[in-house]
Amino acid sequence: MEEVKDKIVSIEKPELLAPPDWKPVIVGILCNWCSYAGSDLTGTSRTQYPPNIRIIRVPCSSRVDPWFIIKALQTTADGVLISGCHPGDCHYISGNYYARRRFLVTRELLKMVGFHEHRVQFSWVSAAEGAKFAQVVKKVTEDVVKLGPLHLYKKENFNK
Amino acid sequence: MSFSTFVTDKAGLQKMYEAIISKHETYAPVEKFGKYDYKKVSSLKECDPDSPIAETMSVKSLFFPRSSKIMKYEATSAGTSILETDQDPLTAQRVVLGVKHCDARGLQVLEAVNKWDYIDSDFLKRRENTVIFSARCDKAGTHCFCTSLDYDLENLDALDIAVVNGAEGKIYLQARTERGETFLKEKLEKSTMYNVQSTNDESEMKKQYVAFTASFRLKMDYKDINEKMAKRFDSPAFEEASRNCVSCNTCAFICPTCHCFKISDEKIKDTGVRYKSYDSCNNVYFTLEAGGHNPRPAKYRRWRQRSMHKFVYYKERFGVNLCVGCGHCAISCPVNISIFDVVNHIASTPVGS
Amino acid sequence: MDYSKQIQDIAAKLFADGKIDVFVGYRMNGFDDNQVPVVITDPKEVSTLVFTEKSVFNLSNYLKADHTRNKRAGLVVKGCDSRSLNLLLTESQVKRDRLYIIGIACEGVVDDKGQKMQNCIECIVPDAVVYDEMLGNPQGRKDYIVNADIKALAEKGLVERREYFEEIFENCIRCNACRHSCPLCYCAKCCIDQETASLYNGSNTASSAFHALMTWSLHLAGRCVDCRNCEKACPSHLPLHLLHKQNEKVIFENFQNHLAGVEEGERGAFYKYSLKDPDDFIM
Repeated sequence: MEEVKDKIVSIEKPELLAPPDWKPVIVGILCNWCSYAGSDLTGTSRTQYPPNIRIIRVPCSSRVDPWFIIKALQTTADGVLISGCHPGDCHYISGNYYARRRFLVTRELLKMVGFHEHRVQFSWVSAAEGAKFAQVVKKVTEDVVKLGPLHLYKKENFNK
Repeated sequence: MSFSTFVTDKAGLQKMYEAIISKHETYAPVEKFGKYDYKKVSSLKECDPDSPIAETMSVKSLFFPRSSKIMKYEATSAGTSILETDQDPLTAQRVVLGVKHCDARGLQVLEAVNKWDYIDSDFLKRRENTVIFSARCDKAGTHCFCTSLDYDLENLDALDIAVVNGAEGKIYLQARTERGETFLKEKLEKSTMYNVQSTNDESEMKKQYVAFTASFRLKMDYKDINEKMAKRFDSPAFEEASRNCVSCNTCAFICPTCHCFKISDEKIKDTGVRYKSYDSCNNVYFTLEAGGHNPRPAKYRRWRQRSMHKFVYYKERFGVNLCVGCGHCAISCPVNISIFDVVNHIASTPVGS
Repeated sequence: MDYSKQIQDIAAKLFADGKIDVFVGYRMNGFDDNQVPVVITDPKEVSTLVFTEKSVFNLSNYLKADHTRNKRAGLVVKGCDSRSLNLLLTESQVKRDRLYIIGIACEGVVDDKGQKMQNCIECIVPDAVVYDEMLGNPQGRKDYIVNADIKALAEKGLVERREYFEEIFENCIRCNACRHSCPLCYCAKCCIDQETASLYNGSNTASSAFHALMTWSLHLAGRCVDCRNCEKACPSHLPLHLLHKQNEKVIFENFQNHLAGVEEGERGAFYKYSLKDPDDFIM
């Protein structure tokens, strides 16, 4: 990822400038059966994608409690990506159907409270979509670079 | 020991407040969402030293903060180290305006426990470095019962400077402590600025006090309350009195004398901060032990603990009543339970019934 | 709207017939014309029961295990209260056969100052949805209205909204009264209260309040019935309804007009799904 050259501000607090060496931290929560396997495929295919993402593996996208997203935003994350199986392909049959309801409500509430909507993004990535995973991570990282560092409601002693 | 009294008017008082705010770190009741909390102010327009009784939070949060960092630590495989926190140094003098009498008395009462088995130097230093101006308590609120208890409101030395209404728009400023005397004298050196005159005539202050005392809806027969409550530990009336409670913790958080706290660590990777923050003995899990046993699982036990602490245990140990009769528990309680009602009711039931 | 006499008679009869151990209702608070909840065990106290437009508190809060464990209870519920009661029944927190429910066809309640409460002005389900006996004339369901404050906030810019909510989170004192007064918050290990010690945010900072209030409202999403117990309990007078109404709006508009607790046996919005749920926001 190229160095951040222009002056980037934190979009929710435009008075705060990003330090010149700032690199975004994306927390990725991937479901084990599809998205995590898909990200594995990206790796074995040697497809490059931005290294800013830190991946957490969960059994299913429905395991993702909105609390995880809040916790990530409170600590080191500048952006969050949640990825699961395509609707109809969930390993646990219907987990992702429940998950997508939660995703929508969480995203809208965070938007209302003052987070830019690109801070938390979602995707359906199957185990065969290695290329798509790389594209998704690239998009999320680029979006978050434009938004600047997140300086909202961080816990007292978080450090990057 | 008698201290100085001065008389001024509303305009003079405003000017004096403005001068204080411009020269000292000043805290006063600031309104937000209809509630007044003590915050640092930079102009008199931001605050209201005469905020309504029912809507003002306790000044306790300036002396015993809602949460304070007590330690920062770093724990890596190389070892653990304790780091300094960036708590305020507590050395600068500051002023608080508009403190209700009961609230100030609460701070005075808390000094006993803060000088007891562990000297809480943070609390004591903060009190030492603060000059407290009273609010102009004119008329009792619906739930006030401060005049019923064990302290002398008229000569209350829990506050440093009493601000009292007189007749015909006059306002009296009376120092009640050395600290207050020094501060007032310094401030009023150029007394023409605030239209202030020194006075020996306290008759109007006394009249105001009499009128104030007469305005109370609630009067408690305090004389033997502590002894009566002490005998009624096993009273079944506690169960009845606590039935409507929802154990929400609000009463302890806004009480001027509640001082229970919990310690919690907030950790990220290798570093953490240890916080001391308010707790409430009314919480279901207040007494939950690490092994899983909870000595106070039932609501009535927790209510009994609270009432007894306020009216028996603290008095037995330190000689002062912990409850100061501010009525804020009743105001903020979502179901308006008042410790005044609970204690009066229980004290009137027969012993051993 | 005054059903005081009817409720006193019903409660007296229930006690006389030995059908209940405890009755949960409202009484005058004893110092002004507002009312507070009362939990009665002695039939002689039945004469203190009242019900008017000042009967605000959601009494289904008292059916949480702490308060009326293993007791047979009679209680009074308005439209919104009965919806939260319905959810408690569905979520197996209380047994139906231990309850005698007096449902009210509510005409709206007023706050301490006599103003009709916002959630009553915007009420969709005024009539009790679960009851053994109904008092008043049912008006039927009303049309959904988007909360006025949410509408106004949606028109503001990102930075303005952020500033507004930052003030709210900074003024939270972390007393957790909101969570305790909510009838649907009954978790023994609450994630915002100190029981889950390792994950608890103990500090009184905007960050800690952000965690508590956001997680709390998202865990209530699809179950909140807008009874305003939380706002009434909050000692800092925070406008908590903004979070809940925002969730309610998104859920109503996107998930087949779902409303919490109106159908018997129906769970909250996050416990169901539809193949038609929108996911065009997902890449």
